[in-house]
Amino acid sequence: MNALIFTSVLGIILLYLGLTKNKKILAPVAIVGLMVVLFLSLKDWGLGFSFFHDMILIDNFSIAFNVSMIIITILIFLFGFDYYKRMELHVAEQYALMIFALVGAFLMTSFSNLIMLFLGIEILSIPLYVLAGGKKASFRSNEASFKYFMLGSFATAFFLFGIALVYGASASFYLPEIKTYISQFNGDLPPMLLVGLLFIVIGVAFKVAVAPFHFWSPDVYEGSPTLVTAFMATVVKTAGFAAFYRLLGMGLLPLPEPIEKALWVMTGLSLLIGNLVAMKQGNFKRLLAYSAIAHSGFVMLAMLSQHDSAASVLLYYTFVYSLATVPLFIIFILIKRASNGLEHISAFQGLYKKKPWLAVVLTILLMSMAGIPPTAGFMAKYQVFILSISAGYLGISIFAILMAVVGIYYYFNVVREAFTARDHLETIEITWLNAALILVCSAAVIVMGIVVWNLPI
Amino acid sequence: MLLFLLFIPFVTGLFLLLLRKDACVRITALASSFVSLAITLVLAFSESAPVFSIDWIYFLGIKFSLGFDGTSMIMLLLTNFLFPFILLAGFKEEQKRASILYALILFTQSALIGVFLAQDAFQFYVFWELTLIPLYFILLIWGGAERRKITLKFFIYTLTGSLFLLFGIIYLYQLTPGTHTTDFSAFSQLNLPVNTQIWLFWVLFIAFAIKMPVFPFHTWQPPTYTMASTQGVMILAGVMTKMGIYGALRFLFPAVPQGVLFWQNTVIILSLIGVVYASVIAFRQTNLKRLIAFSSMAHISLMVAAMFVLNYYSLQGLLFQVLSHGITIVALFYMVYIIEQRTGTLELPLMGGIKTFAPKKAIMFLLVVLGSIALPLTAGFVGEFLIITGFFQHSIWFALGGGITMILGAIYMLYAYQRIMLGENKNGLQNLTDLQSFDYWYLIPLILVIFCLGIYPQPVFDLLEQSVKTMQNQLMPNLPF
Repeated sequence: MNALIFTSVLGIILLYLGLTKNKKILAPVAIVGLMVVLFLSLKDWGLGFSFFHDMILIDNFSIAFNVSMIIITILIFLFGFDYYKRMELHVAEQYALMIFALVGAFLMTSFSNLIMLFLGIEILSIPLYVLAGGKKASFRSNEASFKYFMLGSFATAFFLFGIALVYGASASFYLPEIKTYISQFNGDLPPMLLVGLLFIVIGVAFKVAVAPFHFWSPDVYEGSPTLVTAFMATVVKTAGFAAFYRLLGMGLLPLPEPIEKALWVMTGLSLLIGNLVAMKQGNFKRLLAYSAIAHSGFVMLAMLSQHDSAASVLLYYTFVYSLATVPLFIIFILIKRASNGLEHISAFQGLYKKKPWLAVVLTILLMSMAGIPPTAGFMAKYQVFILSISAGYLGISIFAILMAVVGIYYYFNVVREAFTARDHLETIEITWLNAALILVCSAAVIVMGIVVWNLPI
Repeated sequence: MLLFLLFIPFVTGLFLLLLRKDACVRITALASSFVSLAITLVLAFSESAPVFSIDWIYFLGIKFSLGFDGTSMIMLLLTNFLFPFILLAGFKEEQKRASILYALILFTQSALIGVFLAQDAFQFYVFWELTLIPLYFILLIWGGAERRKITLKFFIYTLTGSLFLLFGIIYLYQLTPGTHTTDFSAFSQLNLPVNTQIWLFWVLFIAFAIKMPVFPFHTWQPPTYTMASTQGVMILAGVMTKMGIYGALRFLFPAVPQGVLFWQNTVIILSLIGVVYASVIAFRQTNLKRLIAFSSMAHISLMVAAMFVLNYYSLQGLLFQVLSHGITIVALFYMVYIIEQRTGTLELPLMGGIKTFAPKKAIMFLLVVLGSIALPLTAGFVGEFLIITGFFQHSIWFALGGGITMILGAIYMLYAYQRIMLGENKNGLQNLTDLQSFDYWYLIPLILVIFCLGIYPQPVFDLLEQSVKTMQNQLMPNLPF
């Protein structure tokens, strides 16, 4: 709870610091603040609190996900040193909005009441709508913001409608009570409850961009400022999946059959659409957007196995994925700068000649994304497959494996570009901080692939 | 000891990246490969077989355990014997970014040793994939024309197979009793239902079938071989294909013996189709490298058939042939390299009459070709003889089919030899030089080994005796040996 309050205060402090017109102190303050939040969160490990009449439940699950999101946010802010140097106006707002979004994310990992989930999603989303439009002069950034806002509101409406229906049927917002209510029907649910649950699932599915509710994500990823995209692709996704798991995996187990079927369809579609469409993408940001959809499919697969250790696999998968995604976006920013704003993957050509170590690091990160040993991404996929095969879902596991091959194809397309010679490449400038961070991330990706832990959450 | 064996190439590879001078890089790499070879020889002739085992990822039942038996030893001997030659094959030319190239080659070696030492299926899989990564870059950066497209195809193709293998490993893993484990020894005690074994066989086999390659999973091979640099193709043809055979022996026999029996004839027939198919195509090739690619495929297909005949002779023959084919093919590709270097072409119609200018080269090439077509006194003969003997015990028709390889192999290899070395002189080949002393020192050890193994193969059989018996025992309840 302290963490939650402190984070909110931190956001406000950052906003006021913006008045001093001193850009330089923003990032350090934000990072130190987040370190404190990290400490406050870790302090509660293993204790378990509940607040506001049990509407918020801070347990190991929520702390683990919060810590993972805080670490990724700190990482993004560290990269922000260089990124926001070029920006004159509204830097403080950018930091503050990301912090506020993080507050929403915290709520999403620790709710036990549907109203809290709704609040969390909204607190997370509204700053993001603004952040997506961060480049005010850019047409595509405005488009992204507007599109995100319109579709997001639409999803919120669904979500609220779902909550209302569930409340109408079960007379409660509390997950445990809803669960008891569901269990008395023995699988044959009244339509109102079922439709309500389905709408809630759709609302959350929209936030994590699971197919067929993914249409906003490539456009928004492409249009948003790249650092915001990195934030969306990592922290927001993690929060979304944590909420998803808390809702379905912990809250509503065993899943009602129609809901489970709907989730299977989403999983299959995410794997299929995400991977196949990513194959055809020339724009790197769109490629990562579609590949993120594909990763959502894998995460769903773990979730649907309904195994006890699914939560820890989920945590591992999302964290490892985030850890590779953020530096990938940063490398992309550097490349884009060097090639006059080119966002096509051919911009990577000649990287091997100019900066061999960066090409190697890029390869390691993409290997992790593609799930090739000895990287952490491989261990993540391995654990997902263990869950789904142990649960007996052989057909979809084979399908997922085939889709993983497709994934390898498009990720290695980028690697291939990086190792292709090109003469006319501007020099790639990279600050020592960024270089160190990228190296640390790629080292972590390898170390986490070799030293794997199992967190009981 | 085993850890040293595994990590020496890797650590040396890292060290190479720091070196600037090409000469230093080469000497260091070569020295490291000789150390590996020495350790392997010591292990091969020592009485005890050391093991190393620690928990790796305990909650997933994964161990990091190294060990070897006769089969792995053959593979280790082959790998570590060939790698000095693979390194040496690049010494005659200036190479761009030599330090990276040699580091990558050593990384491949390390990963290969890891594959052959692994006693845990997960560990096996990790090393199996790891072999591919450095090789991918060797092919991508130092390959020939159209390498970008071909390399990606090769990469995707083999990874597809690997992922199926991964599925198989996980499937077996979650069936192991108690706290699950990926230990090989646990897999051999599973006694799965026959129906499961029948489908699981293909899930496991496809990875190996692609790597070897078995007809119809071979389409990646000819273009990759043709495009690859000499060193790349030596790794591929000399060692990588054997990795497929090794994997099949490690996984299929212990885990799905009934599946092996069920699909036995199907795989043998596919392999024999592969033999004839590859031989016929090899005969029609005009590019020397492609020709050898197809001839290699024919030989490997015969080995696969031998594996599935499942008797004592064919298994002995198979493992012996692994050794002899690996050595012969490296010698062959070195000859190809020399010919390409001197004549500037690999197209057979443009060559001819090289013998008149380079008689020593012609003789050396002849010796290698004879080894490849399994003439008596060469190692190839011993292997193929045993394999055919094994076929006879199974069925006379398979023996006939297998026998065709030897004949067809002789036809296309000798025909190619004739077109390159004998006959009319072609334009532009007048100022050829003969072998240099470096080439002698390169080829003579290889040829010596080919003939020594052909004349006195007994030590190899002694080494193999025990592990072939084990493999038989795994199938014993099902087979009248």
